[in-house]
Amino acid sequence: MSSSITFHSQLASSSRIPSFEFVSRASTINPSALGYQPRTATFGTLKFSSHAIKTGVPARRIGCFAALSPELKTTLDKVVTSHKVIVFMKGTKDFPQCGFSNTVVSILKAVNVPFETVNILENEILRQGLKEYSQWPTFPQLYIDGEFFGGCDITVDAYKSGELQEILEKASLS
Amino acid sequence: MILEILKRELAPVELEVKDVSYQHAGHAGVRGSDNGETHFELKVGSKEFEGKSMVKRHRIVYSLLEDELENGLHALSIDAKTPTEIGSK
Repeated sequence: MSSSITFHSQLASSSRIPSFEFVSRASTINPSALGYQPRTATFGTLKFSSHAIKTGVPARRIGCFAALSPELKTTLDKVVTSHKVIVFMKGTKDFPQCGFSNTVVSILKAVNVPFETVNILENEILRQGLKEYSQWPTFPQLYIDGEFFGGCDITVDAYKSGELQEILEKASLS
Repeated sequence: MILEILKRELAPVELEVKDVSYQHAGHAGVRGSDNGETHFELKVGSKEFEGKSMVKRHRIVYSLLEDELENGLHALSIDAKTPTEIGSK
């Protein structure tokens, strides 16, 4: 039994903000079944025009306007609740491309919990949208049971103190 | 300047700012930053953090450094403690 999350993104013809269609087959997952293999979620390639950036509007305002559209927010709501444990990171679970992301992945592997990863380097819109969505400007970002848990530092501290394992246990039982 | 902002806003009892950009030079996502000041390690001890969760404390620091984060600052390693926590280390 395999699970995957596939995102289809297409430019709405009249808007610069891409719309996401979220397709999940997660409902077929039974984590306790043998052979469950978490897969990395990948986003489709996004092509979009960047003339929004050239208008001279201050970068911060553009970031707020273009990054987190209502459609993207709705999509992210679904993504963060699609799996109990999900990490937005640089690179993939098997090939992290940043020390901090690698640390979080290593910790999650060490506590032996099923988790999904999403590579934000593949999608700039997602990357910026998540910063708004999570109110967190850096990656990796760890979500447990649909709630933002923290970045690398917080995850490391929680792992050392045992708090992470407790929270993961609660999440897996709920 | 990160140091000044944190000093001014958090009145810290302990403050250490380390530029560790050299440890990350060349990795994915950094390319494009010109001035090399991309990764910092912060150690802050402040009363402002009392009663706040780790996530809240980090968010306070991030919001104080919002401008820096939009201008090259790429990653922050934050160690945020209250004076009490520092004392009991």
